[in-house]
Amino acid sequence: MAPRPSPALTFDLAAKCPTTKARAATMHLPHGSVQLPMFMPVATQASLKGLTPKQLEETGCKLCLNNTYHLGLKPGQKTLDAVGGAHKLQSWPYNILTDSGGFQMVSLLKLAQVTEEGVRFLSPHDGSPMLLTPEHSISLQNSIGSDIMMQLDDVIATTSPDLARIKEAMYRSIRWLDRCIAAHQKPESQNLFCIIQGGLDLELRKECCKEMVARDTPGIAIGGLSGGEAKTEFCKVVDTCTSLFPTHKPRYVMGVGYPEDILVCVALGADMFDCVWPTRTARFGNAITDTGEHNLRHAKFADDFGPVDENCKCMICRLPSEGGLGITRAYIYHTAAKETVGAHLLSIHNVHYLLDMMRQVREAIIEGKYPGFLKAYYWRRYAGDKEKYPSWAVEALRGVGVDLMIDD
Amino acid sequence: MGIEGENHSQVSDDMFSILKSPSAGIGPRLGRLSIPGRHTIETPHYLGITSRGAIPHISQDTFARDAHIQGVYVPLEDFIERAPERVPPLYLYKAPDGASPLRRYIALPDQSLLVLGARRCPPVAAPAANSNTDQTVSVSTNVGFKLLHAQDYREAVEKLDADILVALGDIQYGRTLGSKRITKAVDRNIDWLQDHIAARNAQPSKSTRAKLFASLLPVSCDNQKYWVEYLADDAVKHISGLALYDSCTLADMPQQLRHLPVLGFTLPETPHEVLRQVGLGMDVTTIPFITYATDAGIALDFTFPSPESNDSNEVSPRALGVDMWPEVHATDLSPFKEGCQCYACTNHHRAFIQHLLAAKEMLGWVLIQIHNHHTMDLFFAAIRESIRNETFDRDVKEFARVYESQLPAKTGKGPRVRGYQFKSEGPGEPKKNTAPFQVRDKSSGEGNPLMNDANAQQLENQGFAEKTG
Repeated sequence: MAPRPSPALTFDLAAKCPTTKARAATMHLPHGSVQLPMFMPVATQASLKGLTPKQLEETGCKLCLNNTYHLGLKPGQKTLDAVGGAHKLQSWPYNILTDSGGFQMVSLLKLAQVTEEGVRFLSPHDGSPMLLTPEHSISLQNSIGSDIMMQLDDVIATTSPDLARIKEAMYRSIRWLDRCIAAHQKPESQNLFCIIQGGLDLELRKECCKEMVARDTPGIAIGGLSGGEAKTEFCKVVDTCTSLFPTHKPRYVMGVGYPEDILVCVALGADMFDCVWPTRTARFGNAITDTGEHNLRHAKFADDFGPVDENCKCMICRLPSEGGLGITRAYIYHTAAKETVGAHLLSIHNVHYLLDMMRQVREAIIEGKYPGFLKAYYWRRYAGDKEKYPSWAVEALRGVGVDLMIDD
Repeated sequence: MGIEGENHSQVSDDMFSILKSPSAGIGPRLGRLSIPGRHTIETPHYLGITSRGAIPHISQDTFARDAHIQGVYVPLEDFIERAPERVPPLYLYKAPDGASPLRRYIALPDQSLLVLGARRCPPVAAPAANSNTDQTVSVSTNVGFKLLHAQDYREAVEKLDADILVALGDIQYGRTLGSKRITKAVDRNIDWLQDHIAARNAQPSKSTRAKLFASLLPVSCDNQKYWVEYLADDAVKHISGLALYDSCTLADMPQQLRHLPVLGFTLPETPHEVLRQVGLGMDVTTIPFITYATDAGIALDFTFPSPESNDSNEVSPRALGVDMWPEVHATDLSPFKEGCQCYACTNHHRAFIQHLLAAKEMLGWVLIQIHNHHTMDLFFAAIRESIRNETFDRDVKEFARVYESQLPAKTGKGPRVRGYQFKSEGPGEPKKNTAPFQVRDKSSGEGNPLMNDANAQQLENQGFAEKTG
């Protein structure tokens, strides 16, 4: 059955990798078009950790995340309604994706309890009991006005040994999806994505895919991952799910942000990724580069006058003669954790790094060279030492026809 | 007191020209500071104050694009934590294009005036009462107080290629100086400046050379007579300006030094005090209250001599700034100031800033900082206009009548306080930064408060985590 065209999202497939399941596409959203596959930086509380919207735009970002839970606390729904939504609040002219708030119930609140009606939790302000229902989550996201909103799902750690609870959560997530769809007031301007649950149990995941795909949301997310599970299991879930998804819809793997994880997930057929890691790690003085993460607070960088990343073309790394700032590793060492400017600079670099990596990924897919791109990336990352390649990545990529161990 | 190699070093001072000076005695003046390749700075003006190479909160790309700060002050003590045991990285750095190593290291745009001195502004006072010696000055570094040798200072700063160098002075911060201490400080200042000038003259070939400013003591000129006489009689040919640490020094400045630009490190706490010092002839000043206000979440809001609006309902006197913390701004879509052309006001509104402060998001302070510097840009432009129109005295009175005497009180919490911003009181002092949140622990609760009597409908009605207080 051909999917029903959705009023607020058009998905144009540009190319498919002839070897892997990777795809390149353009997704048209209410606040402009974005290129898939893509990474989305996380502006948790309507700001990307110290960067102005102009700086964020300069990294190439056209779609960032806001967190419903955080915006629900501050500034709160009344204010969001009065201001006219999150785009207006933060003066961000491009797209916004919001999560449902459910993940924070698990990640931030020890005392959250899930019942059929919703998630009960204690207010972080005064400790009074509160309830987040699917209806309320959608109502908040309608107030936020995000271009892509996520259903409230019953999130439990993938590492949970309680299969009955995982199964319950999966079926509850389907029921909650129906409540979210029913509660959604603005399908003409906001897209509601479903979230596939089911832990690491592939049969549960398949069942969830079948049920949720039938609901025909404009896009599909795979949730409940990147919670510390084995990477091999993680890859199996992504691979299994994408095989059951319709071609002409965006697929979003939630909470994935490490370059190597993203590259594998793209090969497994996923299109969208988000993570707080690039900005969080920047605040700890870590720079993301082709050769991995480097902590520039380490004393060995005090006298290192090279750019943060030799190959990078971001505002921070480009020389003044190339229109950039020519910031050195030594200067980041000098400011990291001492002036917030140091974190701002590294955040710009790190976000740019991931967005630029995705541009290269897309180009490689379109040119039919994604397998070669993968091999070159891993080669650089591990300085040619194949012994160090993570076995989960090697195995997962073998499954889609790319053997990192064999040079072209 | 002679100076070696005098023949090499006539300072050709086309850097500073006085465009308008008071007809008699002391008064405000107009000048122009021009250094090739830099913004021409019309004076009176101010310099942005950097911390570890950046104006706090404003990253270098935003500085270049969205702020219009014409010049900055950089303290060397921010860069020399383990000297002399370990050569500071800055001293080893060579700019790829041969430009000033300091300018490239901190990614300061080419057009911005770069002024280099020893201590931060404001400096953290040294713990010891007599912290300076005949050869050294106590400086506050990232790893505590260190001794900076006068020789090391002059050698280092000469290599860093700033536009203006503030010569090392024996400046005691936060203490009243007795006459003996002044005598000692004068001797040191003369020695250090003499040595510095001699060292410069020994290297006459250097093509670009920073303009050297001498540091006056924070007392009246009469109280540091020998130093002032030395400067006027011997050093004047070799220096291009004066650095001041107390405005009282301006009041009896001798005529022989009046042609020099005056750079203030006088820590004014209000715009009124800035005006008073301009009225004494201050040319370029540094204003710590800009960042203080920013950290307090206060958007500066004043126009010299008085606001343009003719709103008769205005309360009088008016506040000098708007505290952005209160919830009254939560849904206010207006800018800090109507008609303001700064990046923050043209792109954002009060509701967002209030949200950012309440959420402790760093962007809040970034935006206020941009606005506050812009407010000072306009303030100084209006001061110059007023001097040009010869209405300065009247305008200062008007400003004093219209505006409150102090900045609004701080109500909200600022960003994390750093070690270089306060004087440590020693062991056992309370934490300067409180933990932003605490994790609730299941074990400490009584029963399970989640499943209490409140039914779902009640909870639903009370809304999602609405703030109660």
